[in-house]
Amino acid sequence: MKAQELIAQARTQQRPALDEQAGKALLAEYRIAVPQSRTVKSVDEVDAAFTQLRAPVVVKIMSPDILHKSDAGGVKVGMKSAAEVKDAITAMAASPQIKAARIDGYLIEEMAPVGQEIVIGGLRDPYFGPLVMVGLGGIFVEVLRDVSFRICPITRIDAEEMIDDLKGAAILAGARGRKPASRAAIVDALLKVGGENGLLMTHADDIQEADINPMIVSESAAVAVDARFILR
Amino acid sequence: MNKNNNLQDFSRFFEPRTVAVIGASTRNPHALPNVFIRRIRDFGFTGDIYPINPAASEVEGLPCYKSLADTPKPVDYAYIGVSGGQIPAMLEAAKGRTQFAHVVSSGFGEVDEGKVLQDELVAAARAGGMRLVGPNCMGLYSPRGRITFAEVGPWELGHVGVLSQSGGLGTDIIRRGRGRGVKFSALVTAGNCADVTPSEFVEYYFADEQTHVIGLYLETAKDGRRLFELLREKKACKPVVILKGGRTQQGLAAAASHTGSLAGDDRVWVALSRQTGCVMVDTLDQFVDTLLLFQSVKPSVAHPTQRVALFGNGGGTSVLATDYFARLGLDVLPFEQTTIDDMAALKLPPGTSITNPVDCPVGTLSQDEGRVAEKILDIIYGSGKPDALVMHLNLSAFAGRVKPEVLDNLMAAAIRVQEKYPGQAHFMLVLRSDGEPALEARKREFRANAVAQGVPVFDEMSNAGHALAALAAHERFALTRRK
Repeated sequence: MKAQELIAQARTQQRPALDEQAGKALLAEYRIAVPQSRTVKSVDEVDAAFTQLRAPVVVKIMSPDILHKSDAGGVKVGMKSAAEVKDAITAMAASPQIKAARIDGYLIEEMAPVGQEIVIGGLRDPYFGPLVMVGLGGIFVEVLRDVSFRICPITRIDAEEMIDDLKGAAILAGARGRKPASRAAIVDALLKVGGENGLLMTHADDIQEADINPMIVSESAAVAVDARFILR
Repeated sequence: MNKNNNLQDFSRFFEPRTVAVIGASTRNPHALPNVFIRRIRDFGFTGDIYPINPAASEVEGLPCYKSLADTPKPVDYAYIGVSGGQIPAMLEAAKGRTQFAHVVSSGFGEVDEGKVLQDELVAAARAGGMRLVGPNCMGLYSPRGRITFAEVGPWELGHVGVLSQSGGLGTDIIRRGRGRGVKFSALVTAGNCADVTPSEFVEYYFADEQTHVIGLYLETAKDGRRLFELLREKKACKPVVILKGGRTQQGLAAAASHTGSLAGDDRVWVALSRQTGCVMVDTLDQFVDTLLLFQSVKPSVAHPTQRVALFGNGGGTSVLATDYFARLGLDVLPFEQTTIDDMAALKLPPGTSITNPVDCPVGTLSQDEGRVAEKILDIIYGSGKPDALVMHLNLSAFAGRVKPEVLDNLMAAAIRVQEKYPGQAHFMLVLRSDGEPALEARKREFRANAVAQGVPVFDEMSNAGHALAALAAHERFALTRRK
């Protein structure tokens, strides 16, 4: 589905945001790597889906009523067989919070490669238009607010400086024996989100807030593991 | 197609041939519009002045006219200082015969009950065929048009173009700027910016050959996108210094009631500065000092300022300044051995530190009646080769100890030596004093003399440091982004 259709569909369904699958489809339209995934309606479709993916996989509930999937018991990670996936779905469907919700289906997704967590965000300033943000994942963004903002569109130099502005930049470069996160992959992702003709500029009139969190950055690639787009 | 086709032509705003004044009174000579008429006459305005007052025949010795439609010639610039409610009808009456209305009156978008009136004001300006500057401000200071709202301002035309949303702060910028030797191409106070926006003036200043440096005091960001795109395109080809009001939640609330401005996130201003090379400052003094430095020196784009030499009296002052400059990202590092050897060959008295910072007590500086400074400066320039040289004199320390000629000679040495090395290092003077009237008088005299020679003078090391760090940031941006 094309980017504009994804947004139009959410509007038709009167949803205030793109769900995870639509969000990732939008990212894929901008050639931002997302994990391979398949959607199933029920356990009957699991075998066919599983053979097309590389284990281990994660299963996530898809529901317009559930915003925080983990809190609702709607996420299970690290499954190595179709049988494990089926058990997980059966267990999810039985949990009280999920029983009460509208279920669109279940997302079976390859696990992202090992790497460091970052966050790429976007928001629309009422006067300056779209802004793009980068930060280190987890407590760095949530507690320390170690983030860096720029006005879209950004250039390659802007993207480089955004990374350098982070207090945790040294961690990304590989501190204390950790493997470095690919700087080129982060710059590339920032440009695809916030650059000229990037996602935020193209959909400036539609997107109020973007939250690609986490994006896992290995030594060679950056993969968007979860994404949320709140519409204006 | 020329992109500048959309550029508003402000030439008749800054250099009006005819000025209308609404609000001048026959009873109250202290009313602002009356004062404005007297000030522009004193400032040498030679065009026609038309007081608009349907109830009077003469104000300030000038014949009055009923409305903007009744003036002998069309009006280039109308200064409007009557209470708000009457203004829209007066603007509409101009029927295309007025180019610019500068409404200084308050009671518009900055207060809840005035928001509708502000909309009416803008609509009336459109209907009357004019552009509107303001409301809620103080007016225009334009030396090339001989227009001024301010009581005092530099008589001469300069190269610093300023837009200030606040009228009072605009006055401060003119007055403090004058005291420090800043000369303006123009200063506009624009209040609520209901029609003409800040970025329109910024665009004008970029195009205006007279303007070399642009200063902005902003509260609103309502045309932020346009400002960003403009500054981004210009790549700081002229330095832009921004003093932004309302960068905290509490400041934002204050700005809302001052100029009716709602400006979003502070982080956006940091981003703006990083992406466009404009320089953000935090205080009025930093603003004026930074404008002064940009007015005085040519940015060294090929080699951004990093290494600074300090030379003057005061050991503690030198150490504190080294800390301060280092925190600002500037280096005050010891000279190389050859420079130190050259300094040592001067055989300066004990207590003198010759490595950088070069700390010379009054006794050292008094050698040869102060002419020793010339030798020291020659070595710093010739062999130390810093990117910037800050010479500082604590006038208090000289008081009552040496003949007055010593300070004269030190000042003369400073001005002479920096002329010998044009373009080699940014030269800045810091003249420190303590408020004692006799010292302040000497300082004023020294400052006037130095500024006349193009040497910028600062009150404290920290002031010089902030201005220099701003210049360095500008230079670094220009080096990396103008390829």
